[in-house]
Amino acid sequence: MKNLFIIIICSSIFWSCDEPVRLDVNQGESRVIIEGQVTNAAGHQYVKVSRSNGFYESGKTPRVTNATVSVSDDAGNDFPFVHNPGNLDDSAGYYLPQVPFIGEVGKTYFLTVTIDGQIYEAQDKLFRVTPIDSLSYRIDEEEREDPEDPGKFYEVLIYAKEPQDTKDYYLFKFYRNDSLKLDFDTDIYFSDDEVLGESIDGVSSPIYFAPGDVARCEIFSISRTAFVFYSDLQSLLNSDGGLFSQPPANSRTNLSNNALGFFQASALHVSEIEIKE
Amino acid sequence: MIKNLFVSLFILVTTVGFSQEKATLNGYIKDAENGEELIGVTVYIPQLKAGAITNAYGFYSITVPVGTYEVQFSYVGYKFQSVTKELSGNVAFNVELQNEATVIQEIVISDKRIDENVVSLQMSKNTLDLNRVRKLPALFGEIDIIKNIQMLPGVITAGEGTSSFYVRGGSADQNLILNDEAPIYDPSHLFGLFSVFNADVIKDSELYKGGIPARFGGRLSSILEVRTKDGNNKNLNVAGGIGTMASRIMVEGPITKEKSSFIVSARRSYVDLFLKAANEDNLVHFYDINAKINWKTNNKNRFFVAFYAGRDVFNFSDEFGFAWGNITGTFRWNHLFNDRLFSNTSVIVSNFDYKLELEDPVQGFQWLSNLQELSVKNDLSYFISTNHELAFGYHLTGRRFSPGRISPNTSGSIFSEVELQHMYALDHAFYISDQYRLTDRLTVDYGFRLSIFQNVGKSDVYLYEDPQDNININRTDTLHYGAWKNIKTYVNIEPRAALRYIISDEQSAKISYNRMVQNTHLIAAGTVPVPFNTWNPSGYYLEPQLADQVAVGYFQNFKDNMYEFSAEAYYKDIKNVTDFADNADIFFNEDLSTEFRQGKAWSYGIELMLNKTRGKLTGSVGYTLSKAMRKVPGVNLDKSFVANYDRRHVVNIQAAYDMSSRWTLGATFTYSTGRPITLPTGKFEYQNYHPDVISERNGYRLPAFHRLDLSATYTPAKNANRRWKGQWVFSVYNAYNRQNPFTIYTRITKNDDGDVIGDGNTKEARMIYLFPILPSITYNFKF
Repeated sequence: MKNLFIIIICSSIFWSCDEPVRLDVNQGESRVIIEGQVTNAAGHQYVKVSRSNGFYESGKTPRVTNATVSVSDDAGNDFPFVHNPGNLDDSAGYYLPQVPFIGEVGKTYFLTVTIDGQIYEAQDKLFRVTPIDSLSYRIDEEEREDPEDPGKFYEVLIYAKEPQDTKDYYLFKFYRNDSLKLDFDTDIYFSDDEVLGESIDGVSSPIYFAPGDVARCEIFSISRTAFVFYSDLQSLLNSDGGLFSQPPANSRTNLSNNALGFFQASALHVSEIEIKE
Repeated sequence: MIKNLFVSLFILVTTVGFSQEKATLNGYIKDAENGEELIGVTVYIPQLKAGAITNAYGFYSITVPVGTYEVQFSYVGYKFQSVTKELSGNVAFNVELQNEATVIQEIVISDKRIDENVVSLQMSKNTLDLNRVRKLPALFGEIDIIKNIQMLPGVITAGEGTSSFYVRGGSADQNLILNDEAPIYDPSHLFGLFSVFNADVIKDSELYKGGIPARFGGRLSSILEVRTKDGNNKNLNVAGGIGTMASRIMVEGPITKEKSSFIVSARRSYVDLFLKAANEDNLVHFYDINAKINWKTNNKNRFFVAFYAGRDVFNFSDEFGFAWGNITGTFRWNHLFNDRLFSNTSVIVSNFDYKLELEDPVQGFQWLSNLQELSVKNDLSYFISTNHELAFGYHLTGRRFSPGRISPNTSGSIFSEVELQHMYALDHAFYISDQYRLTDRLTVDYGFRLSIFQNVGKSDVYLYEDPQDNININRTDTLHYGAWKNIKTYVNIEPRAALRYIISDEQSAKISYNRMVQNTHLIAAGTVPVPFNTWNPSGYYLEPQLADQVAVGYFQNFKDNMYEFSAEAYYKDIKNVTDFADNADIFFNEDLSTEFRQGKAWSYGIELMLNKTRGKLTGSVGYTLSKAMRKVPGVNLDKSFVANYDRRHVVNIQAAYDMSSRWTLGATFTYSTGRPITLPTGKFEYQNYHPDVISERNGYRLPAFHRLDLSATYTPAKNANRRWKGQWVFSVYNAYNRQNPFTIYTRITKNDDGDVIGDGNTKEARMIYLFPILPSITYNFKF
């Protein structure tokens, strides 16, 4: 919504153009970044610890490999995490549970990360998720006429029953043949149920598929805090520089001690469908 | 209480009024050619060094000792007139002045000064000279009042292509924009490329930036008062124009000659043809309709009915669309109780609404929002003597805010119907002010406005565990208020004062103070409001915004008033300025009050202006040095920050040159310090995203903005002998093709096709430029 206006103005005026510009900004201090996730699905528990870098720096951001990471729940269970147990090159900065566990609906999870004596904490509650009843697919005629990816013009339709008696928040992820896809690189697919009715009959996916593709849709329950985080993140990623929207600001987070990122507890439901001609 | 106030007022008035043996001269002053009443004409009696100025309806009244006097009538752009009148008792005298534009090639007759700049008590006010504005270049050739307002000293713009303006360190919603007294809640067409004011029907427009008279209230920073023409009451006229972006037609004429007249005008854009977003599937257009009739039953009673409707419509592929618009209506009755007591009673309606609609069997919805206002105003002027002029009145306004309703527009839609609750407010205002001429040199105007603002039911107010916690919103209770039940009442006294001291015939000094109160708050967190922003009344959570402003000025005219110079300095202090928490969710939020943050704002500056009013070359040079700051708890870590609309230096130059009877040239140059902007100081990784790390709000600035526009107006010589008068206007916007920054955004580094370059871990900042060099042609006609 917020950035609709600038898109309309800039796309509707013949003459507008944009060009790269070199910002003469002071580099801020490096911030601790934590990305943590506990779900009710096996193998989906991880904590990634990194730092921010300069706006114009290239390559991956610095990873923090010497942190002490643990998760606990409100039933008194402790789950210590270890850094990159598989010692994989591309998993530096990732911490996995020493003993695999899965989260349980209704429990609150606590994260503690200690880096060089500094403690960063967060908590999030794991809510039940509304399951996707079924998926179907159909040809999007407009996309078929002018596909962004040749051959990919099938959209997947989602069917579900939204419980009307609770306040729910959702995050969606779409996969094409096991690979996470976004329509645009700053898209986040999330929603509250404020204006939703009960019957969700055939909401279309934001990405398109070709015959033979396997489409997978993951629906995550998220807390109100996580909804706020994703909503802020989306505003930040799509900021127009404070012209029509508010000046950009860091996302609100559940992490303490000035860390950025989020620690998210979610129930997860997965649906898959193979696209056939 | 109300009764008592008026009783004591009348006692005051009558005792002052009848204490001497006096005569009153009064009447209306009109344009000789079309019968339009002229606003601000100086009526001057040299023997007494006393004068009066016609009011918004062209009425003047001057009370002097019985005798025979020379009475002079002078007005910028009109031939000077002088008569000798024997004044005993009450004399009604209507005057018609000849427009100089219709007597081209004659030597200017007036050798009398037109010295409003120096002698007027009002400071910090700018009147647009529409004759000059017509000679100046305009974007796409569409003459736009607001774009000219943005060129005045003390006024800044967010860049280009927007209709919002910012006065002396106030935000865009702190300006009251009045169209024939009716408030316009969003003056933009096409998100601000044009404004709602069609120059063909505008008679007069004035901007008050300080020393705001007591009859105005409701906004903190400025009043933009636009009045439309009454219609030619002598001849039937048709005028119009065919432009690059829009075409216009205007018809005016008498209904009963000299007694009543009408004016109707319409403007429609064909932007559809020019925007790339517009093709056979996409439609984008706007229109404006103005209509007005007025009639005079006798010299004592005049009636006006004015109507305006304007709308923008965007439709994309028949699926997604949105629209917004204003509708206003004004009924006015001018009544002369006696020769010295002038009354205007108005009934005003104003409606602003917007609509968003998506037509889709599954995700279809319609989103509606509106704001409606009905007000009754009674304004009186009592011309007691040459030394006292009393203005007083009462305004009552009722407002209904409907911030939004989302409803499904198909049976299969995933949406349910949800409506944010309506809000209601009643606004009473009483005011009185006395303009008192202490000596020939010293005049003061002092008075106050009493504002009583009530937020009333029917409404529910939610109570929260922590009313400022916008993450974990815990409602603890709900207060239910029935229809008309008082939720919150705010009473404020707004003192107003102005003083003018004439140093010499060509020099004066002025000082003014005003307090303004604003009880309607725009829910917009960006720099430029969009039509989809809604308004909230003061109430349980929002307190009234208060502004105190002091301004001092020095005014001097040179060369028989050919040059006007002014220097003003101001300091403005705002309490409870309405702002929003970082990352506020301001659209369709039931718990919007958790996002409110009120703080303080302060601004100060110096404005210099030199204006050349006559001769082949006319124009102005303005310079403003200013600073605008804010400090709002909960925003920018509670630290003060530079306001979005802060500009350190602004220079504006406008010039029109009458080369010959056929060619007129115009030029406009503008320079301003760049807009403050919040930029990233780093970046990080989160899942597949690469967000920026943000530090201080508005810690950086865009590059400076500057632009030169040129125009040439060609009036064929054969016009003189024909009824049909045509005119060509050629203009070039951004003549030296400066790439002026609109805004900056960041993204993953990509090539021009939008494909990621490199490993996808580097980011780039990109600057958006709006208009390159843009030529345009407009043909105007009149018959």
